[in-house]
Amino acid sequence: MNELPPGQPAPASATPEGDRPLTRKERQIRKVRLHLAMTVREIFEEMEKDPSRPKAMAYFDDIFRKFMHNGEGVIKASDDQKVVGTYCVFVPEEIIYAAGGYPVRLCAGAHDSSEIGEDFLPDVACPMVKSEMGFAAMPILDFYQRCDMVALPASCHWKLKMGEMLEPFDDVHMLDVPRVKESEKARDYWLEEVKRFQRRVEKITGKRIRRRQLRDAIRKIQRAQREVVRFQNLRKTIPAPILGRDALEVLNAYFYDEVEDWTEALRALNEELEERIANGVHAAPPRAARILLTGSPMVFPNWKVPFIIEDLGGILAADEFCTSQRYLSDMVSVDEGTMGDMLMAIAERYVLPCACPTFSNTIERRDRIARLVDEYRIEGVIYHVLKGCHPFDIELKIIEQLLREKGVPMLKIETDYSPEDVEQLRTRIEAFQETLKGRL
Amino acid sequence: MNIQRLRLAVQLLSFTVLIYGGLFAIDLGNRLPTFACSYVPDHGGGCFLVGFQHMLSRPLPEFLGEQGIRLLKALGIASLWAIVLNKAWCGWVCPIGLLQDLLTKLRVWLSIDMSRFSWMTRHRYKSVKYILLALLVLIPLGIGNGLISRDWTAPYCQLCPARPLLPLFRGDTTQFAINFLSIPTMLLTGGAIILVGLMFTTSFVKRRFLCSYCPMLAFLSLFDKIGLFSLKKDGDKCTRCGNCYRACPMEIREIEEEKTLKNLVTQDCILCLRCVEACPENMALEAQFAGFSFLKADAEAFLARQDAGAAGTGTRRRRKKK
Repeated sequence: MNELPPGQPAPASATPEGDRPLTRKERQIRKVRLHLAMTVREIFEEMEKDPSRPKAMAYFDDIFRKFMHNGEGVIKASDDQKVVGTYCVFVPEEIIYAAGGYPVRLCAGAHDSSEIGEDFLPDVACPMVKSEMGFAAMPILDFYQRCDMVALPASCHWKLKMGEMLEPFDDVHMLDVPRVKESEKARDYWLEEVKRFQRRVEKITGKRIRRRQLRDAIRKIQRAQREVVRFQNLRKTIPAPILGRDALEVLNAYFYDEVEDWTEALRALNEELEERIANGVHAAPPRAARILLTGSPMVFPNWKVPFIIEDLGGILAADEFCTSQRYLSDMVSVDEGTMGDMLMAIAERYVLPCACPTFSNTIERRDRIARLVDEYRIEGVIYHVLKGCHPFDIELKIIEQLLREKGVPMLKIETDYSPEDVEQLRTRIEAFQETLKGRL
Repeated sequence: MNIQRLRLAVQLLSFTVLIYGGLFAIDLGNRLPTFACSYVPDHGGGCFLVGFQHMLSRPLPEFLGEQGIRLLKALGIASLWAIVLNKAWCGWVCPIGLLQDLLTKLRVWLSIDMSRFSWMTRHRYKSVKYILLALLVLIPLGIGNGLISRDWTAPYCQLCPARPLLPLFRGDTTQFAINFLSIPTMLLTGGAIILVGLMFTTSFVKRRFLCSYCPMLAFLSLFDKIGLFSLKKDGDKCTRCGNCYRACPMEIREIEEEKTLKNLVTQDCILCLRCVEACPENMALEAQFAGFSFLKADAEAFLARQDAGAAGTGTRRRRKKK
């Protein structure tokens, strides 16, 4: 591990000390970089304490360790490759890959950058949008600055208005996601939006997308999903062969990594996990309470809740986050393979089965959670709401009702990215997991 | 197992048997509920509608006697066939269905995108096939009872696109003509030629255009509930991703929307099973024959199929450079 001494600013923005005092902005950048590096180091120090961690995790660790060094090398785009930043789960990556671009998902989870974001957004805004704003506005992580364009779906209200705020820093392309997705016209409209996005990406990269490139891009992502299906099936084994926080890391790494490299790394991990299962090696004891996390997404380095759950002897058996499992579970089905067929397949894959709470109905999400509870033999559900994340808060009652019917206890936690409430969360989660043990 | 390839093989085999079967002493009888045209010389099997229309063209009192028994027998045999294979007659046997599927392959090969009717249009025309089925019974009865001119005899054979088209495969061009005997024959046989033309042209735009209006489909749909083939859906497993609807040549929206109905052999279903192959959710869709499950939706199998080339007619996998 080649670690940069904390506090040393990156050469690009370094000012000769003593020449002139650092401006407020430079001080802020320095502070955030330092804090981020510390947070990342703490996370990995904690992870290294686990002696039974799969060896194949090293590949994914490397990606996130680079967050300590201004995120240089996190994305693998070559110098002449155009980088397209994406937010949420609605931006068709297939199109970016087909046009020769490099997609990187910018949804962020850093507490310090969310403090910068407060300059742009009201206090009640969710920490994720604040954090994203912070990274976009200040040169903290390299790949936020490398984006040649940013695709922002108008999903929740924060994201809807974020486009204009991002404009001084990025070339923003807004995608209008229909809210009542069942109607015929909504589908047609969304397909047109995807085509508009396609034209924009083609313009940025200067490459026309042909049938073959699009099919190849789809196939690349389908292959990644094939490994995800295998990975998720392995995670269903009891006792769990891998900790949930490690699984979260694997799936989070997909944001930044090149899809084929990521697929290979996951294949290696899957093989290791199969071996572990065969040899009876497991990451958590067989009686560990199996927890499902749902609600507002968790992005690196906001992993405090998974850490608490697993420190307390539970196992994060599955999650329902748009930044993790759910992002990779719906699949494009190429039927006829004509250009129109593939574009329609791509458009529909990103919206129709999507369980995002910004859509009018909750059916998809309800059924998905019910399936996860059954398939992963979930004993308790933790419903995570980020302060200011209204869509997930609104759906709470419906999900609560569903889980009551299924007889699965649920705990709602409301938090943000700050580490201050960790002890309070620990107490609540501990009490919740105790009650689960009592039920066995 | 690639069901679409198997289906194509079965379709080609059925086509050969129905059109050329007579040369190999195959005779499946003249009571098949599919467009196996009886005008094809030495056919291996014939459509039951020919005889059915002639038997119906009788004065009503005759049905109380021997004529009624003959009619019931014909209808009974056709119904038995319909129960055994129900909609598989359309998706796996019908020669007109095969021709449309082949033209669709040509369209895809030419990179022409498919298009679909709007949901409203599609819904509006759903009843056409049942109206045609009702007329199929009423017109011959009218002829038999002196209400309609004899020129309308076997109107559906005169109108059927299979009659001019299928004998061509045996080199018989005599049917490919308009009968100028009278105005009704001119209208009907002219209509048949127009339908052949429509079949060729619409195949470059839509999939299985003619099938939605086919009175035979309407007849077979009467056996949806008791047919041995069934298509089951587990709504709890469905994410409503729409893959099945996109794959469906008959544009059946229920396959995607329905969350509670268990049997999804709906009135327009032709049991091509493309929906099951397009479904990425484990066990969400399942095809059964007489209660025995022979095809299930499966995520891994789905992805393997997609990797090998699109499920139906799509682009093949490129050879990997090494």
